[in-house]
Amino acid sequence: MIILQYVIDSLSVGGLYALAALGIGLIFGIMRLINFAYGDLLMMGAYAMFLMAAAVWPITILGGVVIAILVALLTERIAFRPLRTADPSVLLAASFAVSFFLQNLVLMVMGGRALGVDIVPVLNQHIVWGELSVSLLNLFTIAISIALMVGLSIFLNKTSIGVNMRAASEDVRMARMLGVRVNLVIAAAFAISGLLAGAAAIVILGKTGLVLPAMGLRLTLVAFVATVIGGMGSLTGAVIGGYAVGILEVVLGGVLPLALLNYREAFIFAVVLLFLMFRPGGIIKVASLEERV
Amino acid sequence: MKKLTSLALAGALALGLASFTGQASADGDPIVIGAAIALSGFVQPYDDGPLKGAQLAIADINAKGGVLGRQLTIVTADTKSDPAQGTNAAIEVLEQGAELVMVTCDFDFGAAAALQASAAGKVTFSSCAGDPKFGVQGIGPLAYTMALGTPAQGATLAEWAYKEKGWRKAYIEMDSMVEYFKSLCANFKIRWAELGGEIAGEDSFNFAEVKTFDGQVTRMKASSDADFVFMCTGTFDGPALIKQARNAGVTTPILASESMDGAFWLDAIPNLSDFYLSVYGSMFGNDPNARVNDYVTRYTAMHGAAPITAHSMTGYSLVEAWALAAERAGSLDGDAIRMELDKFNNEDLLVGATSFSPDLHINLFRGMQMMEVQNGKHAPIKRYTAESVPPIKF
Repeated sequence: MIILQYVIDSLSVGGLYALAALGIGLIFGIMRLINFAYGDLLMMGAYAMFLMAAAVWPITILGGVVIAILVALLTERIAFRPLRTADPSVLLAASFAVSFFLQNLVLMVMGGRALGVDIVPVLNQHIVWGELSVSLLNLFTIAISIALMVGLSIFLNKTSIGVNMRAASEDVRMARMLGVRVNLVIAAAFAISGLLAGAAAIVILGKTGLVLPAMGLRLTLVAFVATVIGGMGSLTGAVIGGYAVGILEVVLGGVLPLALLNYREAFIFAVVLLFLMFRPGGIIKVASLEERV
Repeated sequence: MKKLTSLALAGALALGLASFTGQASADGDPIVIGAAIALSGFVQPYDDGPLKGAQLAIADINAKGGVLGRQLTIVTADTKSDPAQGTNAAIEVLEQGAELVMVTCDFDFGAAAALQASAAGKVTFSSCAGDPKFGVQGIGPLAYTMALGTPAQGATLAEWAYKEKGWRKAYIEMDSMVEYFKSLCANFKIRWAELGGEIAGEDSFNFAEVKTFDGQVTRMKASSDADFVFMCTGTFDGPALIKQARNAGVTTPILASESMDGAFWLDAIPNLSDFYLSVYGSMFGNDPNARVNDYVTRYTAMHGAAPITAHSMTGYSLVEAWALAAERAGSLDGDAIRMELDKFNNEDLLVGATSFSPDLHINLFRGMQMMEVQNGKHAPIKRYTAESVPPIKF
């Protein structure tokens, strides 16, 4: 029974990480931008939900997701579009600037203290089944992550803008010459990344009940690690990487002796290091990212 | 360009004048108290209460005629929640003539400013740094803290759980974010073992983790024979952990320290019950000590809102302590005030009976108010003092 408990924990934690990794991987695939401000989209969405907590919960979470999408679009338009042809390192620095700006904006307006909120009370319940007890939030997390992944996959494969997006991630210049409207495609990618951040915000808020200016930081780091393990630039890789980190985290938490528990992250980062040393492309290598001689 | 130069000149002149007037503190001028604390950034919430407490103490003392016949006034400088900025902030308030320098409620964030103030020969107080290093051993003989030392906090909670609640099996959950949490858990365990308590299980988590505590909660549930869960954590991660534990059906009582004080996070967990914690005082107007309730009323009147946590009381009491010592010394000389402070023996301050000695500038035997939260409401239980405290390691 305890094994099943760990399986559910892994799927739920992994699902959350996979969502976040997808949000980062999608933008990286198209723009070669490692968006460190991704977690701040989540944070903005969460604060929006906090401010709209008085409404009925579907409105609250919808409002939060819409804000996350809007902020994603705004950061694209204001910060990243003017730098599109710049070196990836410049883009990375710009994303740090955006992150810093958003966090300090919230710090200034809302203060630095954690604020408590209970957005979807129904998800606080849990189901008991023999020795197993599963919180509804975990089931919700598993369901919403799978739904969004399936949805994204259909979008990328069946819609014309999705196909354009995949083309742009293969080779932006070639796609543009063939008539792909790059501005639209990139804006759409940011909107999806905002949507994924908004969904992650629901899960994180459901789990923690707290909003904090730096709340997105840890998830961004984990998502980044997941994309490295899964393969930078590959969306399938991002999903695999997200679940891999989730499973690793839950399993390590279950088997490590107490003295080593504090160093759980060190083990996860050791895995990343091994990947960087022996398979730098990650689990799924992306052809368009390899150096062509 | 010319305009710019003249602007710069005017600015420089204004600065020069400010420091000039600051230096010249004639006998009739107010005595300046400097707060070199976090006025912005993520540490700001922890310094905000103590600052407001200090402001109330100054108003109270001024109403009674001030110190040595002079009124008190406060100046502030922002460390911006950056330990490195502490030095500059301290210099800023010292240049304005500060005789007492109040610093951040934490050793790591307050040490730089305190070192600077000590070097200038001024007494310096941290409001609520619980690390015994904040004092003679870690900063210097002029540094004090109003906190109850972490060894005493751990011992108080262990004794209360064992003797008052009759709990015997503890499950320990440690946040390894800051030294305070680690030291709290370590000292709790020392006292718990002395009392003969058992440990049903232990777990720890790291600040770097995303707040998905599924693994921790599953482990917690596996130790279902525990009488209570002792959590060494604060309001960054504690509420998330408690929420996830309760949501997963863990109904075991939870015990925590003053770092979980405040009702502001309770919205995260509606109707939280069986949660126990130690605080400096109840900020809900129901403290058994009438002086604390009076403090809450007057703080609310002065600042427009009740104190968010009782840490604000440490800000009040540090001004109280310094003023008493200065009055007894009959002088504003840092060393003279230090000698008076070191004679404090169960001095009756707002925060509780306070003692200092030439080598211990933190309290170890002062009671904490035990509180319980049932159905999302805080209620006081009793004030509890540890009988025995593990030896301090500096």
